[in-house]
Amino acid sequence: MAEEKRVMLGQEGAETGSALRKALSLKPADVAFEVREAKLLGRGGAGFPTGVKWVLAGGASGERKYIICNADEGEPGTFKDRVLLDEYTEKILEGMAIAGHAIDADTGIIYLRAEYPYLIPRIMEARQNLIDRGLLGENIGGTDFSFDIEIRPGAGAYVCGEETSLMESMEGRRGEPRNKPPFPTNQGFLGMPTVINNVETFAAIPHIVLEGAEWYQALGRGENSGTKLFSVSGDVENPGVYELPLGSSVCELLELAGGKDTQAVQVGGASGATIGPDELDRCMSFADLPPGGSVIVFDRSRDMLDVLENFMEFFVHESCGQCTPCREGNMRLLDVIADLKAGRIESMKQLKPYFQLAETMKLGSKCGLGQTSSNCFVDIVSKFVDLPDDVKGDA
Amino acid sequence: MARSAEQIVEEGLSRYGSGREAVMQLLTDVNNELGYVPEEAMRAIAKAVGVSNAEIFSVVSFYSFLSIEPRGRHIVRLCKTISCAMKGSADILQALKDDLGIGVGETTEDGRVTLETTSCIGLCDQSPAMLVDDVPHSRLTPEKACEIVRGLE
Amino acid sequence: MPNVSVTINGRKLDVREGVTILEAARSAGIEIPTLCYHPDISIAGNCRMCVVEVEGWRTLPAACVTPVTPNMTIMTNSPRVRRARRSTLQLLLASHNSNCPECERNGNCELQDLAEQHNITVNPFQTDEKPSSIEEASPGVMRDNSKCIMCTRCVRTCEELQSVAVIKPVGRSKDVTIGTFMEKGLNGVPCTQCGQCINRCPTGALFEKSEVEEVWEAIEDPEKFVVVQTAPATRVGIAEALGLPTGRNTGQMVAALKRLGFNRVLDTDFTADLTIMEEGFELIHRLKKALVEGDKDVHLPMMTSCSPGWVKFIEHKYPQLLPNVSTCKSPQQMFGALAKTYLADKEDVDPANVVSVSMMPCTAKKFEKERDEMRDSGYQDVDYVLTVREVARMIRDMDIDFENLPEEKYDRWMGQSSGAAIIFGATGGVMEAALRTAYEVVTGQEVPFEGLNIEPVRGMQGVREAAITMPDDMAEGFEFLAGATLKVAVAHGLANARKVMDKVAAGEADYHFIEIMACPGGCLGGGGQPIPTDADIRQARARAIYDEDAHLPLRKSHENPEIQALYAEFLKEPLGHKSHELLHTHYHKRED
Repeated sequence: MAEEKRVMLGQEGAETGSALRKALSLKPADVAFEVREAKLLGRGGAGFPTGVKWVLAGGASGERKYIICNADEGEPGTFKDRVLLDEYTEKILEGMAIAGHAIDADTGIIYLRAEYPYLIPRIMEARQNLIDRGLLGENIGGTDFSFDIEIRPGAGAYVCGEETSLMESMEGRRGEPRNKPPFPTNQGFLGMPTVINNVETFAAIPHIVLEGAEWYQALGRGENSGTKLFSVSGDVENPGVYELPLGSSVCELLELAGGKDTQAVQVGGASGATIGPDELDRCMSFADLPPGGSVIVFDRSRDMLDVLENFMEFFVHESCGQCTPCREGNMRLLDVIADLKAGRIESMKQLKPYFQLAETMKLGSKCGLGQTSSNCFVDIVSKFVDLPDDVKGDA
Repeated sequence: MARSAEQIVEEGLSRYGSGREAVMQLLTDVNNELGYVPEEAMRAIAKAVGVSNAEIFSVVSFYSFLSIEPRGRHIVRLCKTISCAMKGSADILQALKDDLGIGVGETTEDGRVTLETTSCIGLCDQSPAMLVDDVPHSRLTPEKACEIVRGLE
Repeated sequence: MPNVSVTINGRKLDVREGVTILEAARSAGIEIPTLCYHPDISIAGNCRMCVVEVEGWRTLPAACVTPVTPNMTIMTNSPRVRRARRSTLQLLLASHNSNCPECERNGNCELQDLAEQHNITVNPFQTDEKPSSIEEASPGVMRDNSKCIMCTRCVRTCEELQSVAVIKPVGRSKDVTIGTFMEKGLNGVPCTQCGQCINRCPTGALFEKSEVEEVWEAIEDPEKFVVVQTAPATRVGIAEALGLPTGRNTGQMVAALKRLGFNRVLDTDFTADLTIMEEGFELIHRLKKALVEGDKDVHLPMMTSCSPGWVKFIEHKYPQLLPNVSTCKSPQQMFGALAKTYLADKEDVDPANVVSVSMMPCTAKKFEKERDEMRDSGYQDVDYVLTVREVARMIRDMDIDFENLPEEKYDRWMGQSSGAAIIFGATGGVMEAALRTAYEVVTGQEVPFEGLNIEPVRGMQGVREAAITMPDDMAEGFEFLAGATLKVAVAHGLANARKVMDKVAAGEADYHFIEIMACPGGCLGGGGQPIPTDADIRQARARAIYDEDAHLPLRKSHENPEIQALYAEFLKEPLGHKSHELLHTHYHKRED
């Protein structure tokens, strides 16, 4: 991870457990309010206000409640959660325990993607560390708050990063998204009130509890709150995880990572936005470019249609198959990409039905996968494919 | 002493209980130990959990890492998504196919290795990368990848 | 629940809070197209045909799953919605085997209807022709995945209505299809052949195995003596299959069958009456063994056996309870056995030339006729089974003007029946018919219900119970039942059957007699009945059936003169030697 810009992570000083102990001295609702005040938006990419989620779950009624850490990191080009789980494990677990206190849950579950099995020993070791120090298990810190964490495995499905698919998977079913409502905060895992947050979101929690909402807000750029981890890969000198204020521009990141001769940057993973060299000053925040954290850089040697094909093959493979626009639409887009590569498309007019299809997928798909999988098609074809609007005498 | 599918399921049930939510863990246990999920395992899980055989089969068929067919003792999963593709995963795939003499999704005759491709495995900063069983290998070259795979027993 | 105010397409509506947008719209007569939605089963929300625009929402939600909220403003036909709907239809059609002329559902297909209504004359996504991929696997139900639109109605039907759950989505993404456990096919898994999946499939992906060609061949063969029997529920289903309103069309159905060329048109209702004779006495026999002889081994409650889907279900799921099932064959099979013995003799034809066809509301009957046990005549007792849908196709194929046919009568020897027989077509009907006869046999009096209508066993509730207490003075020989209370139960749909069976298996059921029908509604909702089906349609068919019963001169099975003649001349007495030879059967444990 880049040394230069670490603000939150890697900070020495805060002893593991100090945030949890402080949280336990506060009322659960107050912890949730502080997180809400901090304006921590979900760091998995969807950007839902975390504190609002906690307040809703805290107010919901159910026999028991659950904290779920979404460790199904699968967006192409994203690896920040892997690094967090490996190098900041105790912090994540502590964040989960604080969440548990905030909503009155006694069980934390890490849904860990099958592709990260080698992280299991580290996570179990960290859990044991915390148990040995009285920071997990029964009566934490001498209070009547008990919380323990278990790992449940995924089995190789990107769509299970979607929170309702994740719960379906944990409940022993196909990872197909559910209809909403009901929302997880009311009826989630096993029908109980559930908070699902990304790994990076939990990593921010101990800091917010210790330093306060205002401190966290100030870390961001402009209206944005807090920092964001960016996983940078592709045509850069120094691929890796970078921590920057949320709202930083793409060119700032490129400078740090060493991008040269950049033709395009994919911000937010395959489901994100593709920007050209004239857009590098745009900001990565929930207001502009999707800040899920994956940043893939392409230099001028790359054929963007090949890139697009790779993205679309990914979506075709990962679509759960449940709803029509996504199951069928991704395939149709892949077909026309093959046509484009083979030079069979003569004008943008020929592509009109596919842009309409992209809109149908974006608006009509049942979940985020289908709703975002056509973004790369629209961006790359619009910005990187040179075709006349119409061909004279075209039918 | 190798456990049978039914044994793995039985022992799993005593650890995870027999609620529907035990299914993923049971399937993973069987799949990891036997390399795939045999029919008997699906029947045993279906019966214990109270759903139809078809339901468990449907679940197994959904996930990339679960297999209904026997696979090799070792499973090589080469990432084919963009960050690895940009750094030459196609050449590595070809080298592995040539070396092993099998195609994607196939298993060597001696039952040693199954070759698969996979979606992004989160090692994009060290691409190209692959998973061999539970172990990640990154910054691969065709030679390095072949060497790793040759060393598998 | 309180009401809320919503606006749909500019119209302000007052609806119950929490109803879905689809329900709200339909209650106001505003139509929204659907495919994966079906009122009999849970809501999936996967086809995305019913998307609507809601003011302030970024995406277009599915109307079928989205509850209304106060002051919601909805547009069901905005430009964005119209374009999304067309796109979705184009996608479905592009992956669909659109060879409509060669499809069973041509003219009665929901996808075809939507494509026509929305004028999908141009499809930019159309790829190559998709060839049929037919799974031949079972006698009753066939699948063609090239026509499947993955709406999962069949999956939800098999799981929720029938609790059989043998068909499920297999695979992921574009490769996902509906399949069976380890792709063994319907023959290799506990499919009960009930055909409820066919009834709810919006396209031609599911259909019955057709025997129409074989029947035409037999009819056209001058050497063959082709007889057809018609099940109780067929006479209230046939009109729907010909585009006419549900009603009582018995006479016209007989006329149509005669014009198709059958040598004899006879009635399964006749053998339904026969079943009551045999099964009524079997029940009395078991009760006597239990109460008089104190036989601990006698198996009670006794359960009906005329529903072959139900029989297959219990063979797979509760084989330990098989001794409880009545040994009586179904009316179809009793008919078949008699057709090639008693009838052949009466008609003076060589039984080897008799071709025995049945017209059924059922797909499981296609499976039943092939059971090894069904050859007691010395031949396969029933040669071909045609669903109501197949017969309708034959009627249209001959350009017969059904609506204007005269009413004609069944042929003799096996054509007369009572009202007790016709109510076999409704859930509770077999029970009611059995009680009308059994009660009178043991007490010498009619059942103590107004108009002989035993209301407690009627209706569409999934599981119904009733109790009848015997009077103190009984008919001669049945004194052992004096003052006894006979407890009965009725269930329809296999999920309900399972509930009752679980109770019986646990020893918690104190019934003496249970009627189970595999299909929701009973045979009137059978897998071979016209498509579509829903609660209103089944209710209309039930009304027609009970109407028919109320208007018939004969109301009880034992009063049927042809039945009396059959016993006098041929069978001698119920449960006698001849009956056991031809009219009773046994069952097999099947793998689960």
